Amino acid sequence: MADIGKRGGMDAYDEGSNPRHEPPDEPEPAAIDSHPPDDRAAPAGLSPDERAAGAAPPPNHPAPPQYDSAHSPPNGIAALSLRYQIAVALALAVVTVAACVHLGMMFLHVAPSNTVTKQHGQAIDEWVYPEFEQNWKLFAPNPLQQNIAVQVRAEVRATDGGIRTTRWYDLSALDGAAIDGNLLPSHTEQNALRRAWDFYVGTHDNENRPDGLRGALSERYLRRLVVLRLDREQAGGQGAVVQQVKVRSRTTNVPPPQWSTEKVSDKPAFRELPWWPVTEADRAAGTRDTRTEAGAQ
Amino acid sequence: MSSDDRTGTLESASRLDRKLARGISRVTGAALGPYQTAVIRIGFAATWLVFLLREFPHRRDMYGPDGPWSWDLAQQLIADNRAFTALMWSDSLIWFEIVYVLAVLSSALLMLGWRTRAMSVLFMIGVLSLQNRSVFMGDGGDNVIHLMAIYLVFTRCGQVWSLDERRERRGREARARGERSGPDRVGPALWGVLGFLLAAATLAGKVDGGFLGGWLTFFWGLWAAQGLWWLVSHRARTAEPRIFLDVLANLLHNAALFMIMAEACLIYATAGWYKIQGSRWQDGTAVYYPLHLDYFSPWPALAELLTANGTLVMLVTYGTVVVQVAFPFTLFNRRVKNVLLAAMITEHAVIAVVLGLPFFSLAMIAADAVFLPSSFLRRLGRWAARARVRLFSRGSRPTIPGPRKGDQRTPEKAEHPHVGFTA
Repeated sequence: MADIGKRGGMDAYDEGSNPRHEPPDEPEPAAIDSHPPDDRAAPAGLSPDERAAGAAPPPNHPAPPQYDSAHSPPNGIAALSLRYQIAVALALAVVTVAACVHLGMMFLHVAPSNTVTKQHGQAIDEWVYPEFEQNWKLFAPNPLQQNIAVQVRAEVRATDGGIRTTRWYDLSALDGAAIDGNLLPSHTEQNALRRAWDFYVGTHDNENRPDGLRGALSERYLRRLVVLRLDREQAGGQGAVVQQVKVRSRTTNVPPPQWSTEKVSDKPAFRELPWWPVTEADRAAGTRDTRTEAGAQ
Repeated sequence: MSSDDRTGTLESASRLDRKLARGISRVTGAALGPYQTAVIRIGFAATWLVFLLREFPHRRDMYGPDGPWSWDLAQQLIADNRAFTALMWSDSLIWFEIVYVLAVLSSALLMLGWRTRAMSVLFMIGVLSLQNRSVFMGDGGDNVIHLMAIYLVFTRCGQVWSLDERRERRGREARARGERSGPDRVGPALWGVLGFLLAAATLAGKVDGGFLGGWLTFFWGLWAAQGLWWLVSHRARTAEPRIFLDVLANLLHNAALFMIMAEACLIYATAGWYKIQGSRWQDGTAVYYPLHLDYFSPWPALAELLTANGTLVMLVTYGTVVVQVAFPFTLFNRRVKNVLLAAMITEHAVIAVVLGLPFFSLAMIAADAVFLPSSFLRRLGRWAARARVRLFSRGSRPTIPGPRKGDQRTPEKAEHPHVGFTA
């Protein structure tokens, strides 16, 4: 689904079903301009301090649990005068309503498109975004069944001034190798490139035309990411400077299990992007460019 | 209507009344689930802490101003989605390092329960700042922590297993022995420093307003509430204002705890119900596939072994869906719930290793822990205390950090009725 780029990214690794982009969901409302809704979750804006909260004068040895709350010292509303009791009732009403509304909003946000979300989608999005966005379609409706590798080659200017085109670097394979045998894979290996590619695919059509701001952002992000990775791989040899990059994806089906009689094609499918010129703005900290060399460390 | 009938009606009405009254006094009289909220506080804080330490060498690539997702790119996206992140306050590397270190410190201190109220807010700021800065870096684990960090701010999650509780207990013990303990200076000082920083950020125009004042109202409200709390507990002439604030705090805590539980249910329900629609979950092969994705198979040989038997894969596939779909409903039956809970925690522990998703799994286990029975958690606490005593055998006293406040108010069986305490 067009996880047009936000939180979770769970959708990214759980994405999918046989055809990618399968869920015929509504257009993703990712970029809704909204106010931080959190204040609404905090009607009383009050969050007190338990260190001072010794409301119940307790025994000072580990007492066995007493299961009789009725006999604990009066510390609830029972101990309050009518004026305070009314205030408590008011607070109770506000907190209850806020909690119920919030829960309803969360439910509608994760529920499939339905009558209510179609009618009040805007209001729900304004409540949910940006801080309560979530996506729990964990490996659902179907787990991803393809390995999508992002590969890149570059045109570099070598130290002798010559222009050369490098081989394809399979950055995903490098990620995979880094993850192999790793108890604590880093997000930089597991998520960065994978989700950058998802972001790109989700914000571009099949002719690689961006869909506005997010499309443009995804291009620059992907470019900065692959240039950094190429430089770390010393693409083009020591001291060579990347001038242009060309990115492609290689999608292969996961072979069906041995016990299954299913057949799927084992031919990879490629999606190739045009050559992208690399400017100074595309060199992140840690790339080989002379300008950033010093700032990197 | 016979008088008998009338009496019957009156009786049932008053029974309802009594039930309602008991419900209200429950949600206002105590912050429920002290052990559960403590264990999720420790769980989420520890997960985020270990994550930050693990990613320490990569921090600049992930969230730094000149990483691949540069400050400039983030700026454009955030201008669009208005997410909160202190990292956009400045594009300097120093500021980034400060925020990262503060995120590490606040998670460590929240885990230990030192000045829990303040730390829960700083923890949330750290989580939101880093995650919102680079939204394309995270996965479901980050998403869980993001949500829970917000909810934790409203819970009184330091009632047990915290340094706050220990300090409180020692103070009480000292007073009981007739010793005079000096006033707490650290609390007011921390409050002052945070107020100063908040004022600076506000004056610099860094904190967003928005609906009802947005984040400005939120942060200043929290800060003012702390001040009011201190004032009332130190200066008020009658007990009433203090009890009133305590009741409000309990209300908020209980609502937030309810949201945390509901959120966990939403996660499982969504994950389960969407799976039912998938052909692979129907034909019983779904579990095979993630294990054969290059990005999620750190142990290919193990994955091969685990998926060698088709029937076994089908059983796990069906079992996963059944457990996820069923879980929210089992909350009404304590025993079934506990069995499913054990199954889910086990599955997440397996996922951590087999799919190479340790932080996602840790976060999910922390979320699951909110449903653990108090009796089990107390036993866990005793084991931990004993282990600690044995570890530091010179340790002066083998007291169990068993907070009585919770003991007193959290009857064993109070643990599953939480589900319905919207009152």
